[in-house]
Amino acid sequence: MSNITRESSPEALQSTVNTWLDAHWDTENRRPVNAAQYDERSWYKQVLDAGYCVPSWSTKWFGLGLTMQQGAMIERTFRARKAPGAGRDRYHLGAITLSKMGNAELKREMLPELLTGPVCCLLYSEPNAGSDLAGVRTKADQDGDSFVINGQKVWTSDAVSADYGMLLARTDWDVPKHQGVTFFLFPMKQPGVEIRPINQITGESEFNEVFITDARVPERFVIGELNEGWRSFQTAIAYERLIMGQGITERKRGAANEGVHPLIALANKAGRLHDPVFRQRIAQALAYREVNRLTNERAKNEMQSTGAATLMSLGKLAMSRIQHGEAAIATDLLGAESILDGEGAMDAANANFDAAKAYMNSIGGGTDQIQRNIIAEKVLQLPKEPDANKGLAFREVKSSSGPV
Amino acid sequence: MNNLDEEDRNAIRESLSRFLAAEADESALRRGIDLAPGYSPGLWQQVCEMGLPGIAVPEEFGGVGGGAKDVEMVCSELGKSLLPIPFVESCVIGATLLTASSGCANLRQVINAVVSGKSIVAVGGDASFVPLQDHDHSLVFNDDQTVSGVTSLVLHATLSDFFLLGTGSSGNTKVVIVPKSERITFEPQRANDPLLRPARVSFNNAAAISLKELTPTDLENARMRGVAALAALQAGAARAIFEITVEYLKTRYQFGRPIGSFQALKHMAADLLIEVESATSAAQAAADAIDQNAPEVGRTVALAGFVCSDAFRDVAAQAIQMHGGIAYTQEHIAHLYWRRSRAFAPMLGSAQKHREDYLTAWEKVA
Repeated sequence: MSNITRESSPEALQSTVNTWLDAHWDTENRRPVNAAQYDERSWYKQVLDAGYCVPSWSTKWFGLGLTMQQGAMIERTFRARKAPGAGRDRYHLGAITLSKMGNAELKREMLPELLTGPVCCLLYSEPNAGSDLAGVRTKADQDGDSFVINGQKVWTSDAVSADYGMLLARTDWDVPKHQGVTFFLFPMKQPGVEIRPINQITGESEFNEVFITDARVPERFVIGELNEGWRSFQTAIAYERLIMGQGITERKRGAANEGVHPLIALANKAGRLHDPVFRQRIAQALAYREVNRLTNERAKNEMQSTGAATLMSLGKLAMSRIQHGEAAIATDLLGAESILDGEGAMDAANANFDAAKAYMNSIGGGTDQIQRNIIAEKVLQLPKEPDANKGLAFREVKSSSGPV
Repeated sequence: MNNLDEEDRNAIRESLSRFLAAEADESALRRGIDLAPGYSPGLWQQVCEMGLPGIAVPEEFGGVGGGAKDVEMVCSELGKSLLPIPFVESCVIGATLLTASSGCANLRQVINAVVSGKSIVAVGGDASFVPLQDHDHSLVFNDDQTVSGVTSLVLHATLSDFFLLGTGSSGNTKVVIVPKSERITFEPQRANDPLLRPARVSFNNAAAISLKELTPTDLENARMRGVAALAALQAGAARAIFEITVEYLKTRYQFGRPIGSFQALKHMAADLLIEVESATSAAQAAADAIDQNAPEVGRTVALAGFVCSDAFRDVAAQAIQMHGGIAYTQEHIAHLYWRRSRAFAPMLGSAQKHREDYLTAWEKVA
């Protein structure tokens, strides 16, 4: 166990982490020291035991009680040595939700499992519960000390490789919509779980449909309380939206601030860098991105100093106009060439891909329109719209999938 | 080096904010419409007593020794209030140039007077210099001894004790300071914003002190500080009119419910919040870049120049739309924000110009 604390200087922190990596990680061969080969679970276990897996969590719960900034520094130090497994307190949505909402027993049992396992998928959306996610119709019926699950989920990434899924399912049909859902940690590797990939408009297939027929989940795998899943879910989705606001869904284009900006390079290549109309558009696109980065920094500081999350909710919405906007400029710069695609026309292929992928940000994790409602109601405290189903048992709520 | 710490800064912000809320509320603002300077001189006096004119002036010149960060803080508060005092012109642009040219001994008194707020410096000249771009000016500096000619769009001219004038092509700008005298005459120009007092100022062989030793770097520094300060005024003003609008959405009922419960208005408000926060982020980043003398300072100041200007203009314009009929009247304050946003837009460079500068700075990153 290391002796670093919140008060440790960045230098001390970095040196402690590097010393630990010297002793445990063989950068050249990309495997643990004295190991014949890389085994993810055993390496992740070493990282977890050292506290570097989730450094911002308390020492009681697998962490080191450090700040998010210190956690980010640990992750950078790991990355510089090509060592995986650090900083999962920033990106492991399943573990983060479980750590915030789960009871102590479940956390003790399952956090080490999740944090050393490959992935945890998200079983939220359904064909008839998209923007209106609280309208999920996947059933969870109690049967002894477990629940029997039946239903269909959609937009699930990593469903094939996942050992567990964070599942939102209906446990009570006779109370209003939000009051009858429960959040489960759902074991994916069992009979009755069928996975079909979705062919997305980008040409990728990262998402799947998941059909669940008479699958089971133990009662102790309820995250939070029975029928209070909506609250647990809010925690999970807020975090997902936050990291989307930092542009995680985008195509990687090399480190930021390194070399000439891709749009400037493309304009130059297209011979349009001196066109004043394009210059204004490119400047505005770069500015949207830079300002969003600045606001994200303020958001982190605000979170740290006052605990307020006012600014946090803006990033994802801002990111939509950035991504759609940049793709539109790239497409216009290419002109007729943009009708091409494939490896023979990489600039066009990239512009077309980015234009399609931008919807991942503006629809995924809640559409921009839903995000605007959230900002208006949660941040600006504007009144909610009257709810047509107020007080109505979920069983009575109209749906395009017909009556229950 | 900054003499102020976070605690000092918060204390200044709080007392300024309290003062403005109490003394420069909407009715005080409206009284300014009928006053010659556009504001009550007593308000300016109180701002001076708080030590604000010297906030970013080094201690050796009698200032407080703060930085651009402190100017940003003061301007974001002043911006909210719309109080049209000559802080940016006199205390930021004027003070920066005068202290840069301190080699000249007889300027010492001028600086002291500006730092205490006893004297106001007005700024005029052509687009190569820092003021509003005056395409009409006909200034001639006679052997750097006297000035003749006319420059227009000069704010705070009638109250000013000194005129800081600059002309010339960039990199070769000549700057002089002209004390108030009977050789200077004014012709008021009517502004769209009823609180602003632009004037055509005529100089008839008025005695001038040449600030020869000012380098292009000094001028660029003053320009950037001016742009950053104006950006903070815009960011503060955008936030104020936005808050007024959001409050109205909660209290105005139509169809039996607050209009803020309608998605059409919620979505406008959410989009405008991004503009408001973007403006604050950009204004703060520009101030920080100046204080740290960051390599990307020019780029960051340009960014604030257009982000804050566009944000204020968009937010003020949408605020009228979101209010509906009530904001189409002069009784409502929205039009004062809207007029100010339009007046600020061309000052110290248009948004288009700042965007061009911003992209040029990015092109140099390779």
